[in-house]
Order: sequence, then structure tokens, then C-alpha cells
Amino acid sequence: MTAHEASFRDPSGFVFIDQGIVRRQINPIYFNTFNALENSTVFKTLHKKGLLIPHTVTSRTATEIIITPEPFTFITYPYEWSFEMYKQAALLTLKIQKYALSKDFILKDASAYNVTYHEGKPIFIDTLSFDSYVEGTPWRAYKQFITHFFGPLVLAKYHGTAIFKMMQSHIDGIPVSLISSLLPTKTKLSPVLQSNIHLLAKMEAKHSTDYKVETVVRTLSRKQQSNILETLYNYINKLNPQEESEWGDYYTKTNYDKAAFDAKTVLLRSWVKDIAPKTAIDIGGNDGTFGRAIMEYVDHLIVTDIDSNAVDQNLRVSQQQDATKMLPFVCDVLQPAPGIGLNNTERTSLVHRLAAYAPDVTLALALIHHMTLSGNVPFERSAQFFASFSSDLIIEFPKREDSWVTSLLDRKREFKDHFDFYNLANFEKGFAVYFDLIKKQEVSGTSRVLYHYKKRDNGQH
Amino acid sequence: MTSFLLYFDAGLGALIVQGIAAVVAGVVLFSKTAMFKIKLFLGLIKESDLQDSIDIDEDEEEDRKLD
Repeated sequence: MTAHEASFRDPSGFVFIDQGIVRRQINPIYFNTFNALENSTVFKTLHKKGLLIPHTVTSRTATEIIITPEPFTFITYPYEWSFEMYKQAALLTLKIQKYALSKDFILKDASAYNVTYHEGKPIFIDTLSFDSYVEGTPWRAYKQFITHFFGPLVLAKYHGTAIFKMMQSHIDGIPVSLISSLLPTKTKLSPVLQSNIHLLAKMEAKHSTDYKVETVVRTLSRKQQSNILETLYNYINKLNPQEESEWGDYYTKTNYDKAAFDAKTVLLRSWVKDIAPKTAIDIGGNDGTFGRAIMEYVDHLIVTDIDSNAVDQNLRVSQQQDATKMLPFVCDVLQPAPGIGLNNTERTSLVHRLAAYAPDVTLALALIHHMTLSGNVPFERSAQFFASFSSDLIIEFPKREDSWVTSLLDRKREFKDHFDFYNLANFEKGFAVYFDLIKKQEVSGTSRVLYHYKKRDNGQH
Repeated sequence: MTSFLLYFDAGLGALIVQGIAAVVAGVVLFSKTAMFKIKLFLGLIKESDLQDSIDIDEDEEEDRKLD
């Protein structure tokens, strides 16, 4: 039995894959805690409220307990979350910690990787993160909560959500000293930020070389710990990022009218319906408008966009509509999340996860001109990217006359001539390397052509 | 103590600072509650304006009815 690549930090147990099913082994050192949790109301309540991934006990022996958690379709990582996604994950963690504390348990770690998005909401996925509470002890995972959640969120308020990408290079959270130094001086006037970040950074620096740590006993009452949790919760709840959207209110600024928009929707729906997919991904799907148009035909739908605000908007609408099939997240196709951590496999790359997800249909609407003209990606290389995870691909090609394309070309100024290759013929030639053309149709009222491609079995000529 | 389960360094500074953070939190929460009561008294807000709370509502009774 081999442990999952990401499951080695906690001696309580580990995750493994048993014939395609994700299971969790619990080691004897965690038996007492696990049994106490099973007999308490903690698991029951958190499962019922949809805050903790439900599990069933598969087997019990003297040396191991095996549990099988409810499977989730696709895992996303903190550096792929929009502001609102990050915020909700942080609030969930605090909520669970405060509740656990009231029932004589604690979260022994507060890693952002303990949370993922499942059926439209954040959910806690590390069943073994709970431990017994010892009266009067401070929260051991407090610093981890600051470096994984509170710090990145406060930094994003001042510097934008690009700061979340720092989690890619700091797998155990952004160091407190770095959080403190990156924050504007005025944040020192905030009692919450001063105590939870600046002072924390100072104290950590002061005691980092104190090797007699274990002998020092610090007490913190349950009420005092609850107060910290509640204050952090209230503070995070009010946080908003200060950044302009890349697209703004994109669909009110589109370069085609309502009739053309409706024509595109009708065409898309009919093509997707014919493919009869179970899973779909819309890359560069903005706020999920077109994703929602095909949602009824699929069981699960991923919509990614480069713009955190668009993803936020998608999340809000999806949660309002209780659209449990929809999973939005942030992705820049020109630099998808890499594999990070030990062996670069602890958190897998997006390309790897997409290949495993293997969506039945991939949508790439109004995306290719950005890849080609902003990213300078040759058509064949774009095709190769889509072919790495897609079977059926519905891709929209905006012609040179399209105002977005014209604008992107104009920005090339004296190098504009280098992009003469941007035309239908070259696009088709590039994609023909990996895909068979099923059909193509001009979207009426626009300068755009919609293509349905099917990946060739052997991938390439 | 179940120290074998504490598989990462909690940080001594982080344990000490919680005492201070707790005092700050106490003051922040007290003033928030006080402000809420004043605004409520002046009719500036209603009871229903209470924002999203950290507390998990167990409401067993209601759940049983729904089952």
C-alpha cells in the first residue's frame, strides 16, 4: 500500500488509493482521538452541516482503522482560489476550530490544503486534523492559520489576489516576517493586525533561537481562545480586495449585440447536447455565463478564468443558485499551477489534474486570440495544450476583423506584421495536428467562428 | 500532553502572542457589542442585521423536523 504523494506530514495516518478509491488509514496513535470524535457530536454535526467531508469506517483491526471519505471530483489549491474562495475557506477553518473547541477538541493544524471546494462550497477534507483539547492551552495551529489564511488575505487586500501565488513558493504558508514587512505601515495602527501579524512576527523572531521552548508553559483560557477566533472571523468577514477587474463587467462590454450573444448560446447548447458529456471545462469562462448555459447537460462543470473578480462573481451567482455542479477557480492558461512540494508531487500540477479529470468536453470561447496575440503561443502549441486533457473541444476563433483582435494587434505597434499568421487557415492547420474537425460555423452577427474538434486517438500525425 | 501529534513547530512566539492577541480580541469584541447595542438603541440597525456568525447552529430540533 502506498501513501498518496501529499500524505506524509501527519503521523496519525495517511491517504492511499485503493483500486481508484481514496481511503485513509488511521494509525494506532490516533485511535483514541478518532474513537472519541466518532462518539462525540463533532463529526455528526460537521457532516450534517456539510462542513467536513463525510466518511464511512471501512475496516477496523488492532493495527489500523480504514475510513473511506466521500469522493470529490476535482481538487483545487489555495493559489488557484479567488478572493472570495480564499475568504470562505478561512472562515470555514475558524468556524470548525471554534466549534471543535466548544466540544473539547481542536484543529491541530490549520493548513489551507485542508480545505477544498466541493459541490459549490468550501469543505474541510482532513478528517485527522482534529485532536483533543487540553484545558488552558493556546491554539497550536494559530501561527499556521496566520501564514496560510489570515496573512495572504490581508496582503491581498492591499496588493491584490496575485499575492495568493506566493503560496506556490511557500508550501507552509507565507512567513510571518514577510507578511509583516509587505504590509503598509498604517496597518500597525490596527489592533487586530498589530497583535496577530506585526507583534507575532516580532515575537517569532525574538524566540526563534530559544531552544528551551518546551519548558515554557503558556496558558490561554478557552474563552480567550474563542475571542481570538471570533475577532479573526469578524475581521476576515469584512475583508475585500482593492483591485480592478481585468475584464470588469465583461458581458456588458462585449463587442456583439444580444442577438449575436443568443445565437452563440443556442449554437453552443446544441453542440454540447450532441456530445452528451458528463463533465465539462470552460477555460477562460469569465463569470460562468456560458458555463451556466450548458450546465443542464453535464454532471460536473469547471469554469476557470485568469481574473479573480470574474471567479468571485461566478462563485456568488453559483452559490445563490445553489449550483452544486459548478467549480470555478483562477487559472492563467499561460502559466497553469505547477507541481510543488516534495518531489514536486505533493501538490500536483494543474495540467496533471486536468488530464486526470479528462473532461468530456472542453470549451475555449474567446480565448485563442489572447493565447496567440498576448501570449505569442503558436496555434500548434495551443492545440497541444488542449489535446493534453480534452477529447471534444469547442473553440471559438475571433477573426482579424473582431474588435478585440484588432485592439490586441494594434498594441503590437511596429511588430504588428509579425502576426500576419493570425488567420483561420493557420489556426485550422495548427489544430489539425492534434484534432479532427467535426464541424465549424460562423456565429451570426459576429466576426467569430465556432469549431468542434475531436482529438485524434493517436494524438498526432 | 499528546506531543507526538504536534508534528510541526507551533512557534514559541506564536504561543506567547496569543495571550496578547486575546486581550486585544476581548477589547475589540466588547466595543463591537457595545456599538451594536448603542446602534440598536438608537434604531440605526435591527436585530436582523446581525452579520454571518462564526457559531455553528446545531438546532437539533429543527433538523429532526426536517428529517
